Amino acid sequence: MRVYILRRLIGIVPTVLMITFVVFVMMRSVPGDPVVALLGDAYTEEDAVRVRAEYGLNKPLLVQYAIWVGKLAQGDWGNSILSGRPVLRDVMIRLPVTLELILLSMGIALLIAVPAAIVGALRQNTWADYTATTIAMIGVSIPEFFIGVLLLLVFSIGLGGLLPSSGWVYLPGTCQTIICAAGLWGNVQYVLMPAFALGVGRAAILTRLLRASMLEVIRSDYVTTARAKGLSERPIVFKHALKNALIPTVTVMGLQVGFLIGGAIVVETLFAMPGLGTFGIDAIIARDYQQVQGFALLTAFAFVVMNLLVDLTYTFLDPRIRYA
Amino acid sequence: MADGRQPIPVKVRPISGGSTREAELGAVPGVALPARAKSAESPLAQGLRRFRRSTTALVGVAIVLVLMLVALFADVLAPRSPIASDQTHTFERPSWDYPLGTDQLGRDMLSRIIHGTRISLLVGVSSVLLALFVGVPFGMIAGFYGGRVDALVMRVMDLILAFPIYLLAIILMVIFTPTAGLIGTMKVTGAIAIVRIPIYARLVRGSVLSIKEKEYVEACRALGVRDPWILFRHILPNCLAPIIVTTTLGIATSIIVEATLSFLGLGTQPPTPSWGWDLKANVSFIQANAWLSLFPGLAIFVTVLGFNLFGDGLRDALDPRLK
Repeated sequence: MRVYILRRLIGIVPTVLMITFVVFVMMRSVPGDPVVALLGDAYTEEDAVRVRAEYGLNKPLLVQYAIWVGKLAQGDWGNSILSGRPVLRDVMIRLPVTLELILLSMGIALLIAVPAAIVGALRQNTWADYTATTIAMIGVSIPEFFIGVLLLLVFSIGLGGLLPSSGWVYLPGTCQTIICAAGLWGNVQYVLMPAFALGVGRAAILTRLLRASMLEVIRSDYVTTARAKGLSERPIVFKHALKNALIPTVTVMGLQVGFLIGGAIVVETLFAMPGLGTFGIDAIIARDYQQVQGFALLTAFAFVVMNLLVDLTYTFLDPRIRYA
Repeated sequence: MADGRQPIPVKVRPISGGSTREAELGAVPGVALPARAKSAESPLAQGLRRFRRSTTALVGVAIVLVLMLVALFADVLAPRSPIASDQTHTFERPSWDYPLGTDQLGRDMLSRIIHGTRISLLVGVSSVLLALFVGVPFGMIAGFYGGRVDALVMRVMDLILAFPIYLLAIILMVIFTPTAGLIGTMKVTGAIAIVRIPIYARLVRGSVLSIKEKEYVEACRALGVRDPWILFRHILPNCLAPIIVTTTLGIATSIIVEATLSFLGLGTQPPTPSWGWDLKANVSFIQANAWLSLFPGLAIFVTVLGFNLFGDGLRDALDPRLK
């Protein structure tokens, strides 16, 4: 098992390199370059050539990529072309925002989905089941930003500004800039709506999947056996059925990471949060090559690590699954 | 026959794809099933029958049909021009003249939403079809020939799948540089299609791998049937069910992706009406004019819901095991 994890961890490197390389090549095929934006009105051809040489943008593509990887190996993520700030520092300031958003939204998703799916499966074709499946159907059909807008209408405008409509205050203790919350609520009020907007869609997908696999599992022989043994309903549902029904759900959770990253970009844009999502989209649109590389690196890494975690979760859910 | 009655010989009618139990039922006098088609019903016909019984699926079809009609006849249905601004009527509240109000340029929201149907459906349907027409042949070839071809094709597909889909779609849109009008719409279509190609390639490859081992394919080979004929005449029809389901549900996803790209400012550019863009543009005025963001959002929701209900119904009908 330890060997397997080690091998998978080493396997992360080529995948991440491949993704960042493709992003590297793609970004450089975008028409126009950041130098034009950097020089602005003072743009002259000579200046542009000089600045390009300064940032090594005149070198062949492969050489540029090799330089980036070489620096990365020494822990240098490069500096932003437009602002001159070190990419690593910017990314680290923004990471806690997105991390908090994603973790909380996944928590909300599970908190809604697991009970809804259990009720739906155990009371199949009752009003409770119909309610759960109908709400889940609505949930998968609403884009995150529309849920966000509805939340804004209710909690920021409707309820007399109960929750702030935009901005961010860091969690006490994770403070890296001056805007730091005195108490927990100072932070939580900013993250609640975005996390909910991001979580509802995930909750809906999970509910549908988990309900379907629960339905399959509770009809299987071992559940019948457990009932015949006289086991009470609670351990049957939670220990036997749920654990096995979670396997396909976990797979899809892993696949959802790609959507979650997109969702984070959208939700952070809507609520004007200084997270990685807004960082990434701003960098891509401004063609700030170094920042985009940093964003791609982190995204690719998160994506690959999540997939590894999914595979490892299987061994916990079903001990018969073993990796050698 | 415990009560000693003599079994009455009944000619067992061929019953469509039913189980042997169903056949037994038909053989018992008095419990005869209603006579159905004389010949065995095809799986597709059975699926359609199951589909027609599902209310939610029919609601989905109704929504999709209405939206298609709206998109087709947008010019007739829209009371005003979706792009002409009218400085004397900015931020009108919903009224008889402007059923859904007007935006900050005085453009009629109802007309914008009606015309937005075109972009949404066009991108949703055509991106999925494009991905289908590229992905399915690749998947078929990879699965059928295996070996090096398979390795090469699937390596490329895995490369695309290794990307978080929004990262790829966003960068593709930046490369294509978003523009207005039909060209702009085609760019969005292309970006979404590229992201979705591997889904079809993988799906079809999996089906082909199992189907090509079937006896009837072997029989074809023994008869000297050429590969393309086997692939298109014998293998493809047998992996259609999952393709159809994935396509319908895929349209729903594509519409959300389009709306999201548009929300981020990377979809079809204004003045072409696009729901995602309209929602984003009007969020700044949400305090005083909430309806301006509400209506485009509702339009996206209803459209996606329609395709999701339709797709769910199809899945239940075509592949009952998946229910």
